[in-house]
Amino acid sequence: MMSATASHGRAVMLPSPSGALQHQQPSIGSDMFRLRRKEPRGLRLIVAATAKYKGTKMREEKLSEMIVEKVKEATEVCEADVRSEECKVAWDEVEEVSQARADLRIKLKLLNQDPLESFCQENPETDECRIYED
Amino acid sequence: MAVSTIYSTQALNSTHFFTSSSSSKQVFFYRRQNNRRFNTIITCAAQQTVVIGLAADSGCGKSTFMRRLTSVFGGAAEPPKGGNPDSNTLISDMTTVICLDDYHSLDRTGRKEKGVTALDPRANDFDLMYEQVKALKSGIAVEKPIYNHVTGLLDAPELIQPPKILVIEGLHPMFDERVRDLLDFSIYLDISNEVKFAWKIQRDMAERGHSLESIKASIEARKPDFEAFIDPQKQYADAVIEVLPTQLIPDDNEGKVLRVRLIMKEGVKYFSPVYLFDEGSTISWIPCGRKLTCSYPGIKFNYAPDSYFDHEVSVVEMDGQFDRLDELIYVESHLSNLSTKFYGEVTQQMLKHADFPGSNNGTGLFQTIVGLKIRDLYEQLIANKATAPAEAAKA
Repeated sequence: MMSATASHGRAVMLPSPSGALQHQQPSIGSDMFRLRRKEPRGLRLIVAATAKYKGTKMREEKLSEMIVEKVKEATEVCEADVRSEECKVAWDEVEEVSQARADLRIKLKLLNQDPLESFCQENPETDECRIYED
Repeated sequence: MAVSTIYSTQALNSTHFFTSSSSSKQVFFYRRQNNRRFNTIITCAAQQTVVIGLAADSGCGKSTFMRRLTSVFGGAAEPPKGGNPDSNTLISDMTTVICLDDYHSLDRTGRKEKGVTALDPRANDFDLMYEQVKALKSGIAVEKPIYNHVTGLLDAPELIQPPKILVIEGLHPMFDERVRDLLDFSIYLDISNEVKFAWKIQRDMAERGHSLESIKASIEARKPDFEAFIDPQKQYADAVIEVLPTQLIPDDNEGKVLRVRLIMKEGVKYFSPVYLFDEGSTISWIPCGRKLTCSYPGIKFNYAPDSYFDHEVSVVEMDGQFDRLDELIYVESHLSNLSTKFYGEVTQQMLKHADFPGSNNGTGLFQTIVGLKIRDLYEQLIANKATAPAEAAKA
């Protein structure tokens, strides 16, 4: 389960896109993606953002698996020659998939947009559009 | 917004009547003046699209920069409704953001076979990129391919209507000279290696499969292609946002506190650089003091003229973090040439996206400012295009 801590420093309480309130905290820039952190000073509301549709959940899992696979592949390929084209391409694939995974996470967490939203409005009966229950 | 050009043609035997052709773009006036008979045809193009290029290595269209930019124009940018759910395109009222990965000529398998990374120009179809950006700029819709980052395949194309503002975002917006010439404004997001490493750790460490070693190896392996093909584009950019580790904390390697430099080219049409205190001077400014209390490590600003790849530039630099709303407002009130429409607009825009990474430091600040500069450029360009044909008609 992915969770997000949305924090920023301000003396005012403002609603986040998901409707949760945030309290004053010293902000830490790209803090969004750190899941391991020290005990926060003060109140912090954890907003859980999980995929809404089964299809999106499947994409999340697929991307995560691909990362494992491709890191393994790249490590093996590069054992032979770290400067070879195959090695470069293998790590580039890792980067591509890692970024795709992160983009999906941003969409769901930060923007509360499920990429299947409009597709599933039109086609609610498909398997991909079943509401995912955690 | 209509832009019109006026033509004179052969005379006809009629006076003062009006027809419009089936294409909604043309209006015909027939007029007789004195002894001369002539016709005036007014052709209106639907709009002139302003094209912005953004070079960034941080994925497509989902980056917070794009969100901030589209937000300046109002409205949220969303993927096209009812289309491919893996589309990279974002559309809002005024802007359409296109991901240049869609112009990959080789899909993932193809690149593996040829031994090229996505950074390599050989993996991209610049001819198609040029044709389509040119078409959109002239107000013609295009069927643009979709590169699916999940499957690594090229999907069926999607129809893109010409927007008022077209943003092309990706690895190579300024690589091809023809495409470069179509850009009305270009931005390069230059992340230093240390910051890139810190961000990628934050991005990837939670994923199974990744470790510090794999993250490092991935960055190292991509470096040669990045330096050969992507980095050189920064010399062409009208604005470069450089993100570096802070100088306020000795030996900081967490990449949380950042030093961000906004490098603005001088002499760019419709673009007047932001400055502190007085243009062309050199200033070092620490806003924290009696009027403003900041927490550690505080904030430091610099402004100076400089030279960047043989161009004259002005550089505004911010090191540190904003803690509170009043710090932001105080800083905003001392910056000049922000192209805001009202006092506090920068602060308001930053607050709108307070959840986005970079909201408390120079990345968010300068991205927002660049957004306002683009709005200013757009308005000037449109105003200019409206007056030019009217002047021609008087002649």
